Amino acid sequence: MSEQGLPAAGDREIDSLPKDLHLWKLPRGRHGLPRELVDRSQRERLLASVVRVTATKGYRESSVADILTEAGVGRETFYRHFKDKQDCFIAANDALVGDLESHVRAAYDRPGSWAQRVHWGLAEILRWFAANPEVTRVMMVEMGAVGPIASERFRGTFHRFTAMLDEGRGPVGETAIDLPDIATIAGGAVFARVYEEVVVGRAAELMDLLPQLTFELLLPYIGEAAAGEEREVAIRSARR
Amino acid sequence: MTESCAEKTFAATTIADIVGKASISRATFYKHFTNKRECFDAAADRALAELRAAVEDAAGGAGAPGVVAVRAAIAATLTRLAAQPAQARLLLVEAPSVDPEIVGRCRGFVTAAMGACLRAGEVGGAGADPNIAFGRATVLMVEYVATDRVRQLPALLPELLYIALLPYVGHAVAVEQAGAER
Repeated sequence: MSEQGLPAAGDREIDSLPKDLHLWKLPRGRHGLPRELVDRSQRERLLASVVRVTATKGYRESSVADILTEAGVGRETFYRHFKDKQDCFIAANDALVGDLESHVRAAYDRPGSWAQRVHWGLAEILRWFAANPEVTRVMMVEMGAVGPIASERFRGTFHRFTAMLDEGRGPVGETAIDLPDIATIAGGAVFARVYEEVVVGRAAELMDLLPQLTFELLLPYIGEAAAGEEREVAIRSARR
Repeated sequence: MTESCAEKTFAATTIADIVGKASISRATFYKHFTNKRECFDAAADRALAELRAAVEDAAGGAGAPGVVAVRAAIAATLTRLAAQPAQARLLLVEAPSVDPEIVGRCRGFVTAAMGACLRAGEVGGAGADPNIAFGRATVLMVEYVATDRVRQLPALLPELLYIALLPYVGHAVAVEQAGAER
């Protein structure tokens, strides 16, 4: 197995929101920009705002008024884009998950063995969380307080990610367990461990878990020996 | 408290909800608890104590420690949770966000009990982490609870047996044991 290091992390800005939800403050009053652009900017400001306000006050304690103040957007505009607070929050969550997914997809689709690709995908997940700790906390912990629609969304996201494990895996070998929920059993190891760290505010250190979680994620599919090899590669890469 | 959490989540539960369901006055509530969080903690403690009693009963009854006892303990857990859906929700769905410490306590208790039953495997150096195995198990059970399949929890016995044995007997043997279960 060739020793391929992780894709270059680059200079990831440690910011509380991914770049595509940056706050643009448009000048007040007439500015001559096309309507579409103004709308889009206002919508993005509201999405960024609901995340910031929720991170500060918790979802239940946050009001639409809080969101408007933080975003510098008017009430009419809010209700043009969103039905209510929940609608806004879920839209923000969807945008963030979309961003995470596109990063993971890019890492996972690189050429390599299935096990390597799973490792790279996992690395990307942990890296994204670690670079966006407050946002991650909002997405993982606050989602529970929002309601059944949000919880269903959350589960849907989990399943979309675990479904990726089945892509390009090849035929089930003798080592893989022949149980219906293998992807949940594998992915559950990562989710539970990550949640534990996020809920106590340690999301920024998640990359430390990469080698062990690589092992635990691959284990139900390929057994200790092969999963252990990937863990070794991860440990060596981390040292560089 | 347990019922209300199951219906509308802890976050949305009010004192009014709790006293309404319990048919008691607010004054009575405040004689026992300072706030709803204290009430939640008490409800969770009770759910855990009852679960633990059911499990110790079954596992103790299975005689010698080892895989047989582990299997009996898992089966008893699943049976109990399936019979008490509101408590299952409280412990599996609500507790992790309301009070992560509850999860930590459970994990500590379960991993200690497992360690007492089975020696940690020496499979190729550092194997699977028992703490992480606990996480796998809870995620799988939450999946069933969240999709209204609480009554079908007992069907998870083979998979939970795999998960529980994994850190101790290694992947291959755990697969065998789970396979024998189906």
